[in-house]
Amino acid sequence: MPHDDPRPPVLRAEGLTKRYGRRRRPALDGIDLTIPPDRIIGLVGPNGAGKSTLLHMACGLTEPTSGSLQILGSRPAADAAHLARVGFMAQDAPVYRSFTVAEHLRLGARLNPGWDMAFAERRVREAGLDPSQKAGGLSGGQRAQLALTIAAAKRPDLLIFDEPAAALDPLARQGFLQSLMSFVADLKAGAILSSHLLGDVQRVCDHIIVLCDARVQIAGDVTDLLATHCRLPSAHVPAGAELIDGSLARFTVPPPPETEPVTLEELVLAYMTRAELSPARALQEVAR
Amino acid sequence: MIWLSWRQFRWQALTAAVTIVLAGAWLLYFGFDVRDAHSAARSACRTGSGCHQAMAEFEARYRETMYFVAAGLGLGLALLGTFWGAPMVARELEAGTHRLVWNQSITRRRWLTTKLLLTALAAMSTTAVISALLTWAARPVDEASANRFDTIIFGTRNIAPIGYALFAVTLGTVVGLLVRRTLPAIAITLVAFIAVQFAVPNLVRPHLLPAKTATMAMPTEVIDQARNLGGIGGGSVIGGITLPDEPGAWISSTSPLLTADGHPLSASRFNRCLNNPPMTGAHGTFGNTAPCLGKLNLHLKITYQPSGRYWSFQLLETALYVLLSALLAAFALRRVRHHLT
Repeated sequence: MPHDDPRPPVLRAEGLTKRYGRRRRPALDGIDLTIPPDRIIGLVGPNGAGKSTLLHMACGLTEPTSGSLQILGSRPAADAAHLARVGFMAQDAPVYRSFTVAEHLRLGARLNPGWDMAFAERRVREAGLDPSQKAGGLSGGQRAQLALTIAAAKRPDLLIFDEPAAALDPLARQGFLQSLMSFVADLKAGAILSSHLLGDVQRVCDHIIVLCDARVQIAGDVTDLLATHCRLPSAHVPAGAELIDGSLARFTVPPPPETEPVTLEELVLAYMTRAELSPARALQEVAR
Repeated sequence: MIWLSWRQFRWQALTAAVTIVLAGAWLLYFGFDVRDAHSAARSACRTGSGCHQAMAEFEARYRETMYFVAAGLGLGLALLGTFWGAPMVARELEAGTHRLVWNQSITRRRWLTTKLLLTALAAMSTTAVISALLTWAARPVDEASANRFDTIIFGTRNIAPIGYALFAVTLGTVVGLLVRRTLPAIAITLVAFIAVQFAVPNLVRPHLLPAKTATMAMPTEVIDQARNLGGIGGGSVIGGITLPDEPGAWISSTSPLLTADGHPLSASRFNRCLNNPPMTGAHGTFGNTAPCLGKLNLHLKITYQPSGRYWSFQLLETALYVLLSALLAAFALRRVRHHLT
């Protein structure tokens, strides 16, 4: 992150830990993480890695057991003004089943001072939703579009999506991710989305956080990560390189020319595999 | 937020409106029925023949109905807790919609405050209307029975039920917030509310104000005015005493019959009077037993609340429930902000 940027980081976590119950393994274990502004961040990891926990803490639905977390420079859900700056779409896109689509927009208008009704109505029209239909009768894809509209029409500075496309069929997913991208561009907002599907993340994100086993394995801008990770031609690990998994290594110096480039998928899988094989060695590092 | 609260509350509001109309209509009918019977009883008084008996019959005729109505009101109050209070937060947590509504630009505290206030006000005003109508309808019976402190009747008149309604809704809300599932929250609210409604009249209400004590001599005529002699557990006890200079007082405890030296009358002497008293040809409630006991120079120690304290008790009991509700609401507002994981 450039030091002359006056804006606070989108997310800053220090020693962030969450335990559900005293005896259980922590869902998040001492996370240190800083996310610069103006990114679309993909939070990837296997199911149960702590993605939902991190995002719920980011919007104030869950409180950390220890450590600190700041979103856009203040405590999550600190007050009404801060709530207005963060839009959240929860997993499974919860909506009020007995409310019509139009009533959901009215709810948004009543509860958000910055609500953009023209935007909301346009998005509802574009998604092909009938304003007089009860939300209980919407398909999964339509419900996701409605939840997305509610989260975005309050014009937040940061949009958080928890597994937004997990329950959707491929076609609905395609449409949904397109909407999501255009929303983020329209609003000039930052966005964090979690997914266990790497393909979704690859399509839309320019910053990746790999979360496995309650810890951050690697985090950074996609271009930086691809530039610093390579496949080694031999078993020999040169100076300035760290072997992650198989022949994939991370370089702290410019990689030598005989190495092969890797794809984002290979990179993420390598970190996930390493975390799976030896949880104790898991690194907590923020790539710069 | 008021729009959302109202939108989610409209079925309950409709139920309340229907209840007010139906129960109100019946209470009006009942009130006029009571007044007709009352004037018939009073005309018996004017003709001079058996006024006391006519009034006693009038009161007895409605006694059972009064307890049925009290049970109905108690049930209605419990339903306010279970169907208005318990689902308020629990249903949102169960359906996951809290994740939608708590991420609008409104704090959870304001969200809960608005919903709680709207629901509580609706519950209190519905109850106030019903209670006012019931108090009006029952007034002639209540005056005839001079028993306004009755454990059950007291809580169904004037302002006390409004305090119960507030408490029921707040209790249900807190239980829903803690249990997080609607059905168990409804069950727990029901049990807890009924437990409190039993505990307060029996354990708390008698101590809201320090009781007065009186010593009452027990000559034959006074013994004959009692309701019963002896008890299931044996012992020289007397029941259904009213204080002559404090009509309508709430007798909270009565000692056993005491002899002149202050000791309880021995069971053998009591039973002798009860089972084979000397024949005196007395015709009171207890026949020959009354003069037999009357000759023993007995007295009672009584603790009581004077009838003039009725409104103090109404206010204190309502205040107690309002205070309980305020504590529960403060807890809920704290809880909704911090401990929901």
